[in-house]
Amino acid sequence: MSKYMIGRIGQAAVVLWAAFTVSFVLLQALPGDAILIKFLNPELGLGPEQIADIRASYAADSPILTQYLHAVANFLSGNFGYSVQAGVPVSDVLIANLPPTVWLATLGFLLAVIVAVTLSVVSVLGPFSWLRSAMRSVPSLFVSTPVFWLGILLIQIFSFQLKLIPVINPGPWQALVLPVLTLAIPISAPLAQILMRNIDDVLTEPFIAVARAKGASRSWVLWKHVAKNAVLPTLTIAGILFGELLAGAVVTEAVFGLNGIGGVTQRAVGNQDIAVLQALVVFSAAAFVVINLVVDLLYPVFDPRLRHKGGALA
Amino acid sequence: MSLKGSLKNKAGLAALVGVSLLASGWTKSVAAEQSPAPATGGTLVYLEQQAHTNLYPPAGGFYPNGGILNQITDKLTYQNPQTLEIEPWIAESWTVNADATEYTFKIRPGVTFSDGTPLDAAAVAKNYDTFGRGNKELKLPISEVINNYDRSEIIDALTVKFYFKRPSPGFLQGTSVIGSGLVSPATLALPYEALGDATKIIGSGPFVVASETLGRELTLTARKDYKWGPARLAHQGRAYLDTIKLIVTPEDSVRIGALLAGQADFIRQIQAYDEKQVEDEGYRIYAPSTRGVNNSVVFRPDNTLVSDVRVRRALLHATNTDEIVSTLFSHNYPKATSIIAKTALGYKDLSSNLIYNLDKARTLLDEAGWKTGSNGLRQKDGQSLELTAYESLPQPQNKETLQLVAQQWAKVGVKLNVLTGDSGTATINNLDPSKAPVSPAMVGRADPDVIKSQYYPTNRNVLLQKGGNSDKVKSFVDEKLNGLLENLASEPNQAKRLSIAGDIQTYVIDQAYAIPIFEEPQAFASAPYVNGIAFEAVGRPSFYSVWIAPRS
Amino acid sequence: MTGLNSTVRTEGPALQDLSSTLRRSDHALLHSALLRWRALRRVSAGLVLSWLVIATVILWAIFPAWFTSYSGTVGVARQQLRAPSAEHWLGTDALGRDLLARLIYGAGNSLSGALVAVAVGLVVGTALGLVAGSARGKVDSVIMRGVDVLLSIPQLLLSLSIVILLGFGTVNAAIAVGITSIASFARLARSEVVRVRASDYVEAAFGSGGTFSRVLLRHVLPNSLTSVVGLAALQFGAAILAISTLGFLGYGAPPPTPEWGLLIAEGRNYIARAWWLTTAPGVVLILVVLAANRISLSFGKIRL
Repeated sequence: MSKYMIGRIGQAAVVLWAAFTVSFVLLQALPGDAILIKFLNPELGLGPEQIADIRASYAADSPILTQYLHAVANFLSGNFGYSVQAGVPVSDVLIANLPPTVWLATLGFLLAVIVAVTLSVVSVLGPFSWLRSAMRSVPSLFVSTPVFWLGILLIQIFSFQLKLIPVINPGPWQALVLPVLTLAIPISAPLAQILMRNIDDVLTEPFIAVARAKGASRSWVLWKHVAKNAVLPTLTIAGILFGELLAGAVVTEAVFGLNGIGGVTQRAVGNQDIAVLQALVVFSAAAFVVINLVVDLLYPVFDPRLRHKGGALA
Repeated sequence: MSLKGSLKNKAGLAALVGVSLLASGWTKSVAAEQSPAPATGGTLVYLEQQAHTNLYPPAGGFYPNGGILNQITDKLTYQNPQTLEIEPWIAESWTVNADATEYTFKIRPGVTFSDGTPLDAAAVAKNYDTFGRGNKELKLPISEVINNYDRSEIIDALTVKFYFKRPSPGFLQGTSVIGSGLVSPATLALPYEALGDATKIIGSGPFVVASETLGRELTLTARKDYKWGPARLAHQGRAYLDTIKLIVTPEDSVRIGALLAGQADFIRQIQAYDEKQVEDEGYRIYAPSTRGVNNSVVFRPDNTLVSDVRVRRALLHATNTDEIVSTLFSHNYPKATSIIAKTALGYKDLSSNLIYNLDKARTLLDEAGWKTGSNGLRQKDGQSLELTAYESLPQPQNKETLQLVAQQWAKVGVKLNVLTGDSGTATINNLDPSKAPVSPAMVGRADPDVIKSQYYPTNRNVLLQKGGNSDKVKSFVDEKLNGLLENLASEPNQAKRLSIAGDIQTYVIDQAYAIPIFEEPQAFASAPYVNGIAFEAVGRPSFYSVWIAPRS
Repeated sequence: MTGLNSTVRTEGPALQDLSSTLRRSDHALLHSALLRWRALRRVSAGLVLSWLVIATVILWAIFPAWFTSYSGTVGVARQQLRAPSAEHWLGTDALGRDLLARLIYGAGNSLSGALVAVAVGLVVGTALGLVAGSARGKVDSVIMRGVDVLLSIPQLLLSLSIVILLGFGTVNAAIAVGITSIASFARLARSEVVRVRASDYVEAAFGSGGTFSRVLLRHVLPNSLTSVVGLAALQFGAAILAISTLGFLGYGAPPPTPEWGLLIAEGRNYIARAWWLTTAPGVVLILVVLAANRISLSFGKIRL
């Protein structure tokens, strides 16, 4: 196991380095550059020599390889460089913007889990067959809705028409209600679909019939087995949803005018603020790698079959 | 030359524009609010469309920057927004020599920056030395409102004198604009990139930046010891408001919805199509003119497709500005009749040269050798007359405007591709005449110098002449235009100066370098209980005298 | 699914592949069991409706002039922001263009954009997955770590950068979206190959002296394809959504291109004045994506 772990960690490090390098090449290939974008702005009226001076001060014209080695060395020593657009170190930008997004994403994910569990339970145990089949199609509806459109509609309805929750100057909890909902709805869909499939799988297992025959109620059987079986897919999906949470955060933060990594990403792309983008890639790649590593290592813990059996079930 | 003397000169000009000003709606609504006694206290929630970029005062031309700087900095002089006269503010009085190369200002005593530093002759000298000459080391650029600056001299603790290499008649007005906001020497010691942080901008204004969430939110609090409002105002003491909460809200629908739902008190950039709804619900619209170069489409003659004046004239006559204004805008956006607004100093009515005439356009294109080809497009030497323009995000409904222009040009066989770009690519490509032969353009400032700002190669250079900020230009230079612009910026005699301004307008339209479309206002909307809002001469709000009536 | 699980249990590193397959292809796979449970009793009315929706929008895309007499790009000045009426069923936009006409003409752009996006992901991703799953060993490891890299870079950031790099336009946006889906196709294709390879008849084919490429073509590829096609149908809907998100963030096709995502994105500014401008295209988009998803599920059914 420990050899396996070392291997996995090694692979993770390689993935991280490759993500850094790929994104470095991609970002260098972008047509503009942050310094020109910021300082060529005619509002500033800078002459060509002044711009050349500024470029020199950022060492923007040194050879690509030098810049690359520099960037690698800086990242390894924890220095993420300087945001040309914001005029502050990248680490300041991240420190200021990471917490609200982490909050938003965590609550969004939790709400998504709650919604998904509710949907899938009602889809099996709900009182009417029309209700059960309606619940079955809700996830498809959720994944079909553009997030930004959903956000705008939620604001129009809940904030401007019903006046339930202000979007401007809300209290700390009010501020989270609509954005969390906007973020959670599309993410709950794949979760709900996986849970529903699990329930269906469990219901077809022979031991259910046995349990039922022994007099256990259907819902008791479901709870006992489904709860156990639901942990794995939820864990699994948590790994990949990280990327979707970030994408969702970009849109959600834009719609709601929230502060966070999503907004930082959008602005950094628009202004080709490469240092910021590079840091964002490294951060999310690291998070991706770590989450997946944890999920892989947790798998055997939650599924005893993986520990004991050697793959007999085909 | 006495103070009175220098003022009289301007007062005469101001009368020119006074009439049209009184006619515009927003002055009326400001006047209507004067009756009840202002109440002190409260918070104003102000929704801004874009985040500020940099608060180095000369960067205040960008509206989001100016909207903040106007609250936290004071200026040497105050331009009366109604009459455009230059009046005392931080400078109690001033003198100007006959050829406008020496200006002496007497500073009001007792003024301090919010960090406690006195605002005295030394501080003013330091400000103008920086704005007038720039600072390479700190990457601080030269202010576009200050021409021909040489040096300053501190006469005594409260008297400062400025010398110019050549006449600089626009300088007095230049001391009243947002780009000349006075900041503490501590602020000017910081490099350009550090000035994106609003909390670093230490001014002497009625409000102080209390906190900032970069790119999202700014809290301004009133300075309790403020007592140096512009001399003309009865209001001299602290601002009536306690706090201004400026929240960047890029979504148009959220700004307007939040205002109407009572979540915000004042918003910038309300689109023309939302005006009716706002007024129907008893809210107020303010659309102060920006008094500068009109919202226009300009050509980059360095690109051979538009280097022939006949092609440019043809497109000018193929543009139906009436249709654009009546489809996309409202009475707050008057149709343009020159390259600058009717309310701008030195305006000359050129509406007879700006006539929509498709036949004339077609004839001109034929004469220029562009024949209609098989695909319906004009062609010459195997090349199609296909032009490109990038959308300008800050201008109201610019994408729609350009699309309508494209529809109109299509009628004479000219294709205009409207591109939206990420701001980076758009900024770079818009400086390349081969990639953007056509470009939207506008700038606001209540002095004829604004024309120079817009067209001169080392200023905004909208026509992309050689020798300016673009290294992609091959050869295009218009010496005649540049000569006129230089004269405009250095002619000390005001009457002659205005006549030069008229000549430039005639020349630009005659060369069809620009197709003016409409006079651009800054459109704001406020809740009915917000009183006392004022706008400086080119439409940035001042919240100094704003007070909030009890909500019924 | 049982087949998949069995591979997972045989070796450690493949664990991750299971998890990722679930993540990316869950839509395609997850209902297989559900459908088994419900059995193939009847042709669902929903499926028929879905095909109808898709057929209609395909007709819109190919013969837009059959459905509207208005232009999709040129408006009538001073006819702006009209409410829905007999003349303009869905009203007009800010430039006096008929919204229904823009939706109909937009079908071509949106559907071809989604097709390109899916094609990029399908071709490149499946090829990578096939090679990885068939070759195993080092090649497999290198390809799949490459796929990990692709997954680890935030998709939105990746597609925005690619749009900037390639320039704005429907096709370029589609390519950008397509590249981000390569990883899902690669993982699904690989896991399918692994599953099929493990089955007895492929073992038998190898055993009876079949060459590697021959077995791959004759047995592995056809048997892996159904679920890949299911994922493709699903990605089709996702691609339309992703392209519309690019439009919302300001990275869409240049005007006056009518494209559904752009219509929703641009219409949102008028929501206080003309609610139909964003609502109508939103509903059309949801219907089409729903239909594509429904159809993708029916592929899962065929596999049973």
